[in-house]
Amino acid sequence: MNFSKKLATFAVASLALIGTAACSNNNNSSSSSSSKIPKVTQKTTVVFWHGMQGSQEKTLKSLAQDFENKNPKIKIKLEQQGDYDNLQSKITSTLQSPKNLPTITQAYPGWLESAAKNKMLVDLKPYINNKDVGWGSVEASGIKTDMLNGAQIKGTQYGIPFNKSIEVLIYNPKMLKRYGVTKVPTTMSEVKAAAQTIYEKSNHRVVGAGFDDLDNYYVLGMKNQGEDFSSKINFTGTKSRKLLNYFIAGEKAGYFRMPGSDKYLYIPFTNEKLAMFVTSSSTETWIKQAAKKGFNYEVAARPSKYTMSQGTDIYMFSHASAMQKAAAFKFMKYLSSKESQIKWAKETGYIPVNEAATKSDTYKSNKDFKLPAKLEDILNANSLYSVPVIKDSSATFSQLTPIMQSILSAAQKNRNVEKAITTGKNKFNAAWQQ
Amino acid sequence: MKTNQKKAWLFLAPTIIFVTLFSIYPILRAFGMSFQGGSLIDLHWNGFSNYQYIFNDPEFWLAIKNTVLYAVISVPVGLAISIMLAWIIFDKVKHKSFFETTFFMPYVTSTIAIGIVFRYIFNGDYGMLNFLLRSLHLPAPDWIDDPAMSLTTIIIFGIWSSLAFNIVILMGALRNIDPNFYTIADMYGASGRDKFWRITMPELVPTIAFLLTMNVIGAFKIYTSVYALFNGQAGVGNSGTTAVFYIYNKFQIVGTPGVAMAATVILFLIILFATFLQRKMMKKVGEN
Repeated sequence: MNFSKKLATFAVASLALIGTAACSNNNNSSSSSSSKIPKVTQKTTVVFWHGMQGSQEKTLKSLAQDFENKNPKIKIKLEQQGDYDNLQSKITSTLQSPKNLPTITQAYPGWLESAAKNKMLVDLKPYINNKDVGWGSVEASGIKTDMLNGAQIKGTQYGIPFNKSIEVLIYNPKMLKRYGVTKVPTTMSEVKAAAQTIYEKSNHRVVGAGFDDLDNYYVLGMKNQGEDFSSKINFTGTKSRKLLNYFIAGEKAGYFRMPGSDKYLYIPFTNEKLAMFVTSSSTETWIKQAAKKGFNYEVAARPSKYTMSQGTDIYMFSHASAMQKAAAFKFMKYLSSKESQIKWAKETGYIPVNEAATKSDTYKSNKDFKLPAKLEDILNANSLYSVPVIKDSSATFSQLTPIMQSILSAAQKNRNVEKAITTGKNKFNAAWQQ
Repeated sequence: MKTNQKKAWLFLAPTIIFVTLFSIYPILRAFGMSFQGGSLIDLHWNGFSNYQYIFNDPEFWLAIKNTVLYAVISVPVGLAISIMLAWIIFDKVKHKSFFETTFFMPYVTSTIAIGIVFRYIFNGDYGMLNFLLRSLHLPAPDWIDDPAMSLTTIIIFGIWSSLAFNIVILMGALRNIDPNFYTIADMYGASGRDKFWRITMPELVPTIAFLLTMNVIGAFKIYTSVYALFNGQAGVGNSGTTAVFYIYNKFQIVGTPGVAMAATVILFLIILFATFLQRKMMKKVGEN
């Protein structure tokens, strides 16, 4: 064999070896969740990927520290992965090398649809029903049923709810009073009337109302008209048109607004350029940070039948050892306990996932945020809805914001709205067929 | 017949192996994946459906349109301004090294950091640019939040950020021109314009060809500046989306790697075609 042939053989052999090694990684993830759940008897490390920042991350660290103190054999390694988009892309790209996945991660169920399909997630039912690491039964967990159901993928309980928020109406009571709005709006038509009044009476200096999350605006707007979020929605149908026209009219006239490149409406709201807006309940944290001393705001139910239940759950990957899984579940149980949820809600503004925490006086009397005292009433006024975990729903949901932005900015700048709606329809339909 | 030295293969082996593994293999893999459907952990043969999907996706065409317009406008304009500035610094300005350093500074600064600063400069309500435009009684558009302005804003930012690298390379090329050419031209009474067009420009052709190739390839791969300018989005309503933005979104967020790779193959073909055209063109310019 001459030298170049030898070299070629060597190169092919190396590539084959690397290829084999790479392929062999794919088959390690099929461990079963139903095998015996051990007690944590040895030093065990649980890796937790999350997307929490600022005070949220600080509180999470302190909860993990507290858990470690109570469970000296377990070490919780928190790994911050940037914001939700970064976290999602990190999970997506790591799924093909399961050994590099963490033990548990924060995620929306829609991100993990293919992981569940490929048996890379752990069914948590046996853990929930286990009396040592879990609660013994679903009922004993004390977690709100609709939130627990929201952490299922195709009927299997893969997740445990963690940081949850709902959409609420946040308003500036002084401003409403100043411009003669005596009643806090409880329906969308009242929102429109109030926004028009404020805009007119303030001589166009104050925008009446805004919607922070345009994707939620569309999904909830359709749900409130009886249509679930699915590929069956006709983007140019009567119901969809009605929903779009409501916002388009407001953008054209100036009494409604959407967020710009600053992404969030709490900035104009705290600068008194916006009187009220529909947003996530966790926005309270940011309002408190941005507002000047003496700035007052109030929280009310979203002026519609349904409101969005949003925020992530915690999911467990199946590649971990049995003991790691047991330890990880203990930590998940700890995070959703009454005490942890009260602390979490008090310091971050998220709503407790635990029923007892929501009803506790300690939570309700929390003066740092406006929501705790009103949460029970709001949950009575609104029904919770979350984006269904079906094929392409997550991808289409992420397309809704840019689609809505194009339509509304065309309205705002007096350009061709109809063209923007037609393009929006094409994008919407294309997104359902990936 | 002359053959390669056998030992040369030994010295080349590390490079060949690395290039095969990290450049050639990914290209082939991307090509293969473009015919596969499903998520990254569940790929299966899909035929041409990914190509069908992208060709029917308005977002893809917008991304390609934006990318091509960006490359076609920002590269020549950026290069022309760079040549002008480099010539001025070289020919007319004292303390050249100071200006050279100043112009090079943006190149060593992070695009994300510059993008954030530009986001404030371009802000429609309180941005510095609109403050200046208003004080000159000129129209002050909403550079960031108006979808119709997104591409213009990206192009302005792209031109500005391309200047640094271009100027430094052009300054190097200007220094390499034999000064005797200018001395002889002066003896024959050539004007400044004659000297520029008949000596400087022809001498700069190889450098310009190099910069053009680099800039065009860079322009087709634009991503970071869009991300930084629009705070992580591709502009309001995705109006400033680019080919790489589309690929990244389909791969990492939507989780359809096959679609992303189909778009990658199309982008690869466009870059290949543009580079080929450009080389032909530059060859022709060089011959003249």
